[in-house]
Amino acid sequence: MNGTKVASARLGPPLQQRASVLEWTRGRDWVWPVVAVAGAFLPRVVTSPYLLGLLTSAVLLAIAAVGLGFLKKQCGLGMFGVAAFIGAPAYLLGIAAARFDLGTAVLLAFLGSTVFALLVGVFVVRARPLPFAMLTLALAQMLKSVVTLQGLRPITGGDDGMSMIFDGSVFGLNQSDLSNVVSFWPMAWLALCLVLIIAHFVDRSRLGHVLRAIQSNEERMRFSGFDTYLPRIAAFTIASSIISISGILIALNTAFASPELLDFSTGGNSLVAMIVGGPGSLFGPVAGALLYQFAQDAFGATGHLTLFMGVALIVVVAACPRGIAGLVADAASRVQRFARKRD
Amino acid sequence: MSLSFGVAQILNALALASLITILASGLALIFGLRGAMNFAHGALYMLGAYLGYSAGRSLGFWPALVFVPIVMALAGAALEISVLRPFQGRTPVDMALITLGVGWIMEPAVYYWWGTAPLSVDPPPSLAGSVPILGTMYPAYRLFLTGVGFGTCIALALWLKNTTSGMHTRAVSHQAHISRMMGVNTDRLSMLVACLGTAFAGFAGVLAGPYLSVDPGMGSTILITCLIVVVVGGLGSIGGAIVASVVYGFIQVIGAVFFPSAAVLAPYLLLIAVLIWRPQGFGRGRVT
Repeated sequence: MNGTKVASARLGPPLQQRASVLEWTRGRDWVWPVVAVAGAFLPRVVTSPYLLGLLTSAVLLAIAAVGLGFLKKQCGLGMFGVAAFIGAPAYLLGIAAARFDLGTAVLLAFLGSTVFALLVGVFVVRARPLPFAMLTLALAQMLKSVVTLQGLRPITGGDDGMSMIFDGSVFGLNQSDLSNVVSFWPMAWLALCLVLIIAHFVDRSRLGHVLRAIQSNEERMRFSGFDTYLPRIAAFTIASSIISISGILIALNTAFASPELLDFSTGGNSLVAMIVGGPGSLFGPVAGALLYQFAQDAFGATGHLTLFMGVALIVVVAACPRGIAGLVADAASRVQRFARKRD
Repeated sequence: MSLSFGVAQILNALALASLITILASGLALIFGLRGAMNFAHGALYMLGAYLGYSAGRSLGFWPALVFVPIVMALAGAALEISVLRPFQGRTPVDMALITLGVGWIMEPAVYYWWGTAPLSVDPPPSLAGSVPILGTMYPAYRLFLTGVGFGTCIALALWLKNTTSGMHTRAVSHQAHISRMMGVNTDRLSMLVACLGTAFAGFAGVLAGPYLSVDPGMGSTILITCLIVVVVGGLGSIGGAIVASVVYGFIQVIGAVFFPSAAVLAPYLLLIAVLIWRPQGFGRGRVT
């Protein structure tokens, strides 16, 4: 036990990478609670319901992208079938909400999709990155086939999707509050904050160090007496739970679950947001989600969104694999070096 | 359940399996050479189908069946030069993302030229009727599709087994480094294989026109099925992909006959079963 502690402590510093955006806040920890609380009051400032709706969509997308970025950073795995963990909790919520009050239904949907993620994780984390990507894609497609099965039509609504009627309230919001973007915003925003906090602390925990060490050399970690399988299942489950928070919030907001939620394109959005934003940093996926949502707003009407997504994906993967976060970090360090030279 | 219904189901499943075999072997070929899972394959297949629609209207079905694969082979050469060759050192996931982006660029281009409404293609007059098989009338075109599909795979298998270039392709798929050390020109081979793979996608697209309809969603649906087939067959193993498509077809047959409502789940159950029983897939794939 003592030996493993020493090993992880030794592995710690060189593997710990901090985005330079976070440098400024070192010693200024009060900034984060202030930002989190202030953000919840955003509807006071942004009065346009359209813009607020756009920001809400961006926040929901960002939650999924943070989960994806977490998995990419900690395990080096890119999940192509994100839609599975957005659609499954949405459907679970709908099924549970028809039988229980809303609070219980949300809890059941979250626990249900976490258990589901755990079961899937047992199978898929052993796979290498490419098969992993394809397996999760197949999983999403399989779930889509399941919910559109004729036999399950009374439960899932088949191709028409599933409308939900919520009984009671969750965090003090009832059905009409949830569908109203102004009263829904604080919940989405605080969920994003919570998810970022979880990703940040797991990243800095012993689990995070072990995960990144496994990623850089699994065999050596095994020789050093570490279990390399369970930590990856844990990471997969954490990432999937984060993504399912996004799915639950989408279902709460729209009171609707449709097979499109399980479509590849739904997951493709957050995948692109994560990659364009940069998985290496905490805020990269959030920036990517914002950019994606505003690009969708700009190009969505012309139908050229897919085209621009394709171009953005190729450019980022080919030219700057660290994404926007990487570009910002490079620019910041260049400015710092320039300033130092002037002194 | 009547016998004729069962026969029709079996023939339907075989027709679908033959289409998937053509596509999956193209995917497996390119993966074997470059280690790149070509996520643009679905879009290439769709482009082939739309080209087949236009060529079929102006030239007729048979010239289209020859012309479109040639055009698609040129597209394959472009893909090889612009994507597969410059990024050959990248990780497989990077390659998957880049080809996914290529597919996303191709899709709107196709919609721009042909619109998003589903188009229907008539089978050529000589194959338009039905033929009696075991007491049931079955569309002649689907029989033709099945025959051509599996015929193509047999031709591919013969090429891989009996020619020098086929041997080199198998060698590179199995041990890329060693083959290069032994003097195989992987770039030239990869060009050939990329052209062949995309020509296959175009060929499948033209063949699919009269069988399925030509619509915007056709590429992404079949791509996922093909990916499953390639994983089940063993990544990079071309023979494995062919075997897996046939197994997939038969599982689809059994599913369609005995559990018609759940037949859509058959490929996923196959995938899960294979992963538990033999994680590396059917074939002897790339050794890495």
